[in-house]
Amino acid sequence: MIGEIIINAFLVTLMLTIAIFIINTRKVISTILLTGTYSLVAALMFVSLDAVDVAFTEASVGAGISTILFLAALSYLPREEKEEKFNVKHIYAICTCTIIAGLLIWASYDLPLVGQLENPVHQNLAQDFIEGSRNHIGIPNVVTSILASYRGYDTFGETVVIYTAGIAVLVLLYDGVSKTSKIYKGKNK
Amino acid sequence: MIDQIFGVWNYWIVFILMMIGLYIVISKKSLLKKIVGLAIFQTSVFLLYITFGKIAGGTAPILTKNIDEIYSNPLPHVLILTAIVVGVATTALGLALTVRINKAYGTINEDEISASDLVEYHKKYLEDNK
Repeated sequence: MIGEIIINAFLVTLMLTIAIFIINTRKVISTILLTGTYSLVAALMFVSLDAVDVAFTEASVGAGISTILFLAALSYLPREEKEEKFNVKHIYAICTCTIIAGLLIWASYDLPLVGQLENPVHQNLAQDFIEGSRNHIGIPNVVTSILASYRGYDTFGETVVIYTAGIAVLVLLYDGVSKTSKIYKGKNK
Repeated sequence: MIDQIFGVWNYWIVFILMMIGLYIVISKKSLLKKIVGLAIFQTSVFLLYITFGKIAGGTAPILTKNIDEIYSNPLPHVLILTAIVVGVATTALGLALTVRINKAYGTINEDEISASDLVEYHKKYLEDNK
């Protein structure tokens, strides 16, 4: 029990450290690799919080496919960010973020403590879903039965979103595709 | 005592991570860095939801033979599964836009993009008023 808490606190602090390093890196490749590491540590965090399905989705999609997409985009983009002096706009941004963080942390005293069985979130739907998965659907993995059956329309909507995003990416990059094919033709001559 | 501190520790770090993401989105000029900031913000929100679903001493929500087993709440897990996949779709769209902007302007720095927009506008204005 106490070991679980310590592992939790360690992983979440590691995520904080990585995020602070991401702010100041100027080489784009190290930004991308640090973001991948951040996602991977988040996946470990999900395992320690009992969300195994979320953990392997985050590890494969968040840490894997996102990183590949960033690296693919990097091949068209400048490798390094322009250097920028610390100016008054940064001070405004820091002030805004500090104020919002202060308000959120103040509000966190009204949130229930992590991991209590009496928390309001555990009172209503979860028990019905677990019983229903055992008695009506017959799949041992409760997350799968909710995803595909109880909230099937959600999953359908998600598929539509991905389809739309795919079409939009193709439309945006069409010019690039024709350009590379022109280079290809030029080489053939 | 130690339970009290670690009971809110996760929330605090998650809020600070959110604000780091927001800071990157506001203050960095590179469009690619802004997308990274959004990704950080997103993952911290996922972490907040999963933290809500945790029950101390529970197991992952996969049914066992034991009737009295305590399972963590599966509903936040399902919501976040959907959100992760949609998040990758938005990242891909943002990156495609960035690549397109780089092709049109030759830069992904915010200031240089608005400067070259301004130059275009003034050229057009002078031509119209000849």
